[in-house]
Amino acid sequence: MGVDRKAEEERLIALMIGYQKGSMDDFEGLYAALKQPLLRYLWTFVRNATVAEDLLQDTFLQIHRARQTYTPPRPVRPWVYAITRHVALMHLRSGRRRKEMLADDQLPEIPVPPEMEKFADKATLHRMLSELPHHSQEVLMLHHLLGMSFQEVGQILGIASGTAKVRSHRALKALRERLAENQGGE
Amino acid sequence: MLPESLRRTISDDLAPVRPLPPAWMRTLYAVAVAAAGLAVVVAAFKLSLRPDIEQLPMWLSWGCTALQLVVGVVLVGMALREAVPGSGVPGGAVALAVGTGVVMQILVGVATWMHSPGMPLIKGHGLKAGVTCSTHDVALALPALAITLWLVFRALPLRPSIAGLLGGTGAAVTADAINHILCPMSDLRHVLVWHTGMLFGLMLVGWMAGKLWERKRFGNA
Repeated sequence: MGVDRKAEEERLIALMIGYQKGSMDDFEGLYAALKQPLLRYLWTFVRNATVAEDLLQDTFLQIHRARQTYTPPRPVRPWVYAITRHVALMHLRSGRRRKEMLADDQLPEIPVPPEMEKFADKATLHRMLSELPHHSQEVLMLHHLLGMSFQEVGQILGIASGTAKVRSHRALKALRERLAENQGGE
Repeated sequence: MLPESLRRTISDDLAPVRPLPPAWMRTLYAVAVAAAGLAVVVAAFKLSLRPDIEQLPMWLSWGCTALQLVVGVVLVGMALREAVPGSGVPGGAVALAVGTGVVMQILVGVATWMHSPGMPLIKGHGLKAGVTCSTHDVALALPALAITLWLVFRALPLRPSIAGLLGGTGAAVTADAINHILCPMSDLRHVLVWHTGMLFGLMLVGWMAGKLWERKRFGNA
């Protein structure tokens, strides 16, 4: 874990402790720190910016209702992302999803793992990433883009850290193979 | 920027909260309550040790009871861990723990049947003996089941049926650990039908409790 990551995690823990004590400022700090990464994570589930914004609010309401279940000084992010994932999955399970079919031009960009950017242009990578199975996209997002350790990814997904590592490796391999096929076809 | 509606909802309900203790501490609390409950049940039903306890090898009587109690406590601990977001127990560990609880109960039953002179199953009394033992099993499991599920559902299990299954299995294994040295019957049919059957029944109760809680809490489970 880099120094920045460690300092950021410590800041989140401090905000969470303050929030548990009833500080609105700390809740706002938490919201500001987590809003963007959580939106990116929610996008991988719903591919719709408006729905992701709605789900973000649902997520913070769930976080609020469950704030006593966070035990300091555990890392905040696995706790928050597990709740976020659950909110997204419950949304996908509900019938609401079918009513939200969108035109392609409304789809938000799926972030691309930095180490893949050298292999192809962003548009191609986005398309190929979005074609990967969701569990592969999710591991790539959590580990490569949000910088979480495999242990944290495992805690969020309810899988062993080794399984998370294997999924990430397979997802990157699948992405490389698709890129090779794509380049061979051109 | 915090949306106004969210700000209002949060600020209207921003009472300080006390964080949940760690899973190991909640497990100790559950063990203490369950132990007190078990003592009350044993006293209330006037249960006594099986008559052939002295003839059973120590590893099979008290040894297996101790081992089953440990497995039961581990299962309860896993249920309480599963109840906190971001601490989910991997699927393989859940399967291994639940499988260990079930296999251990069956193996202890088979080993007891092989070693014990036991009380023979009297024809026509199998049902009565079975119902009595099942009642004892449920009564012995109830304190552990109640306190575990209460602690689980006070938190936020994101896979409540898994947490319930772990809690139900833990309570059932704990009850069997005790009933194994109380039930005088060693006949394998009695053990497999009534005691193993009750183990599966309690697992189902835990799993169903999780499903019901999920429907109540999240609506569309």
